[in-house]
Amino acid sequence: MLDTFEVLTTSGVVLWSRRYSPVGPHIINSLIRDVFIEERVQPQAEDAGSKPTYRKEGYTLKWTTAKDLGLIFVAVYQSLVHMTWIDKLLDNIRALFIGLYGEQLKTKHSSVVNCDKFAPYFERQIQDLEGQSDSGFSAPGTKLTPPSSADNESADEFDPKIPPLQKQHKPQHDTSADSTPVPTPDTSRPTTPAQSHLLTGRAGPGAKLSRRGKKKAAALTSAPASSGDEASVKRKGKGSAKKNRVWGDFGAEEEDPSMVLDYSQSDLRDEAPEGEALAEVNPESWGSRTGKGQFVLKDLDLEMDQIIAEQNAKKETSTSAVSGGGLVGSSLGAIGGLFRNVVGGKTLTEEDLAKPLKGMEDHLLKKNVAREAAVRLCDSVKRDLVGLKTSSFTTVEATLRTSMEKALAKILTPTSSLDLLREIQTVNASGRPYVLSIVGVNGVGKSTNLSKIAFFLLQNHHRVLIAAADTFRSGAVEQLRVHVRNLQELSKREGGQVDLFEKGYGKDAANIAADAVTHAAKTNFNVVLIDTAGRRHNDQRLMSSLEKFGKLAKPDKILMVGEALVGSDSVAQARNFNQSFGPGRGLDGFIISKCDTVGDMVGTLVSMVHATGIPVVFLGVGQHYADLRGLNVGSVCRLLMS
Amino acid sequence: MAWYDEDSWATAAFAPKGSTIAITFLLAVLLPILLHQFIYRKATPTTLPCFLLIGPSGAGKTAFLTLTERKAVAQTHTSTAPSAIEVLLPEDHTPQSSHYRSPGDPAYERSRRFLLNDTPGHGKLRHFATTQLANPTNVRGIIFVLDAATVAEEAGLNETAEYLHDVLLALQKRYTGATTSKGPKEIPVLIAANKMDLFTALPPHLVTQQLEKAISEVRKSRAKGLKDSGAALSGEEEGLDEEREWLGEGGEGSFEFGQMEEVGTSVTVHGGHVIRGDGADVRSWYEWIASHL
Ligand SMILES: Nc1nc2c(ncn2[C@@H]2O[C@H](COP(=O)(O)OP(=O)(O)OP(=O)(O)O)[C@@H](O)[C@H]2O)c(=O)[nH]1
Ligand SMILES: [Mg+2]
Repeated sequence: MLDTFEVLTTSGVVLWSRRYSPVGPHIINSLIRDVFIEERVQPQAEDAGSKPTYRKEGYTLKWTTAKDLGLIFVAVYQSLVHMTWIDKLLDNIRALFIGLYGEQLKTKHSSVVNCDKFAPYFERQIQDLEGQSDSGFSAPGTKLTPPSSADNESADEFDPKIPPLQKQHKPQHDTSADSTPVPTPDTSRPTTPAQSHLLTGRAGPGAKLSRRGKKKAAALTSAPASSGDEASVKRKGKGSAKKNRVWGDFGAEEEDPSMVLDYSQSDLRDEAPEGEALAEVNPESWGSRTGKGQFVLKDLDLEMDQIIAEQNAKKETSTSAVSGGGLVGSSLGAIGGLFRNVVGGKTLTEEDLAKPLKGMEDHLLKKNVAREAAVRLCDSVKRDLVGLKTSSFTTVEATLRTSMEKALAKILTPTSSLDLLREIQTVNASGRPYVLSIVGVNGVGKSTNLSKIAFFLLQNHHRVLIAAADTFRSGAVEQLRVHVRNLQELSKREGGQVDLFEKGYGKDAANIAADAVTHAAKTNFNVVLIDTAGRRHNDQRLMSSLEKFGKLAKPDKILMVGEALVGSDSVAQARNFNQSFGPGRGLDGFIISKCDTVGDMVGTLVSMVHATGIPVVFLGVGQHYADLRGLNVGSVCRLLMS
Repeated sequence: MAWYDEDSWATAAFAPKGSTIAITFLLAVLLPILLHQFIYRKATPTTLPCFLLIGPSGAGKTAFLTLTERKAVAQTHTSTAPSAIEVLLPEDHTPQSSHYRSPGDPAYERSRRFLLNDTPGHGKLRHFATTQLANPTNVRGIIFVLDAATVAEEAGLNETAEYLHDVLLALQKRYTGATTSKGPKEIPVLIAANKMDLFTALPPHLVTQQLEKAISEVRKSRAKGLKDSGAALSGEEEGLDEEREWLGEGGEGSFEFGQMEEVGTSVTVHGGHVIRGDGADVRSWYEWIASHL
């Protein structure tokens, strides 16, 4: 029930693909966007035993990469289906593809890889792996009690859509359904004309047969249950006989498929019980047990195993070469390594990177980047670099540095533009005031930064209403009143208009905010800035009131103010505030205040963006109303790397 | 032994000896050949001329690249890395520089060859494009690919216009910041309005109009926007970054692509589509490439 398998390059060209059912290109596009570019979704580490997964619109995607060649291998299948062999498939296909086309992939200035002939290899891999997993499954399958109807339905639902080849795999999931003693559909199947359109192509009957084979296995152990089934009775009778013959009964119509069938069957026999790895299977057995015309397939298998073994061996030597064998070997290797470290052209391994990465991490920590964010950045750089060759005349450290700079730029660069003025314009055009609210912990400078934004808007001749929704801390309203008075003074010079909306203390903040918005709409203000009470991000009670606030005031933008001084707490702050508005609503951006006081230790920016994936919109850089800045990614990266 | 002696080198050089004749002969034959080789090597560029493919994500840059390379569109996904592909100008277009060459001439074949540099269009990955823009070696032109259907909507238009604005501004900065009095080599821009096959797509003249309007807006809001943090954070004296540059004639009034001529950048808009059931229509883009090759 693989839906699609694609081999694509990082430059975006699909080199080879096999599709069993149509999957929109946006599925893989969003994998690339969310995982590779925006890193919004954190893939689990590969050593967690399995390949990382990504889910989208009912599909599950698994992938693996070949970094030095810039290749991505993606398998897409329905999330409802549980597929155990995808990891192995990805590994094998990667090894095969690189083994077969590695040279072509290295040609410069070309994106063409002539891989029309890859299909048979792929098909064989699928068959092998399915065979393995089938056999693995048959035992538990027999013990299954009839599955829930929901399960049956979902399986049936997909049935007609599933192209022939997938049929082969069906047993894995259908066993339960098929082994249930429901005689009618089963017995009728071999004779119904429907099968001809369901099971087309050469793989079709194979599928049918393997299903049958499965059922036979089921019949063997759960005989009483299926005794009502005519077919299974028959199968039961032959259960101990050679499998080939049973299949012959059903698959006699076509020769080709029976051969295919035999293959998977032999896998089943040879491999599964012994639990051998694919590469270790004796290819002879495949050749000898099947009838005429198998030599082609045998060759293919031989070749395939060879390639995979070769690739694996290569990988092993490249890792073991570093650890070195023998005294002379290791010292030579060390010298060579040192030399290549200077001259470049060294293939980076995890060990090479471990030390410089540690140094890089410490450096980032010194810059006030939260540990969590630093570790993540280092991991992403490591993922980027392991397996890569350093270019000529660059050391490992230099390579690491540029890679880290890139990672920082990537994390800080916003995905879309953050033009506040433009947004105000668009919202106003729809006939309502633009609502911006500011949240944050106590004492980070919410009111100050709100006034700075108000000043900026006044300079652009907007009519701004400031709503005092901090009804909690005494003096908060007065503080805003002072700001508004100052701003009114300034607005005489700068233009624009500003006023304060306040309802005193003790009232519900969310209601005040909503009132302010209606008031603004009535009195022709086009921007509403809402100041909220500061709250500890781990104060459950106060944080929960934010959800109501978000629902009532419906801010177009919610900005969180964070102090540049705050250290490791920044991650938790950003995360908690981001989640406090309930599902479907989060923060839209950060204002990092007091940036002028930290010198080059601007790590807080990175920590906050890392925690939430939300961009930094403004930086507060001083005491004056005009001391508000947009983010310059380049300069921040330079500061962090200095 | 003086030079005028019987067996001196001077006498030998003029004597009717076999070796002298052989040497003279070889010299006469080989010298022109060597000279030719030398000059030929020098004259032919070792690097190919190149065109940059820039544009927002999903515009069809990679699709166009594959179309040009293999005459058929391959399936594509969002790019995460740039790529430089060597391609041939299609048969029915003649490069400007080889108008008087005959088709059999090897130089003609060579002149039809160029590099297409594809860049990722995702917001976070535009640095690949901007670094190439900052230092364009051998770049003959920039092909800004856009999706004429998304440009029909406000959000898509703004994103596209902003990117185009940045590209044009980079080109202008390169021109005004040049140290030579002659100014750097001109880099023309083709705005390739792709996906004309979709019925929601704007026709090229509307694309031009909308883009000019949107770029004026971008320019206006950039002028009003906040200064960025560069100088403030690095502790430099404020005011150093004060002199910002504006696109077009001082950034006043409405922007028109014609204003870019002054800074050595001609902007052309052509519609086309890379994909459709019955094939692609990108003739006008190839023509543009041919005229700048
Ligand atoms: N209808 C239509 N679709 C097109 C056309 N050209 C490209 N597309 C589709 O647009 C999508 C994006 O094309 P790409 O070439 O991958 O986009 P890109 O510009 O390289 O995008 P990035 O790599 O993300 O920067 C693909 O699915 C193409 O099939 C066209 O002329 N008409
Ligand atoms: Mg692309």
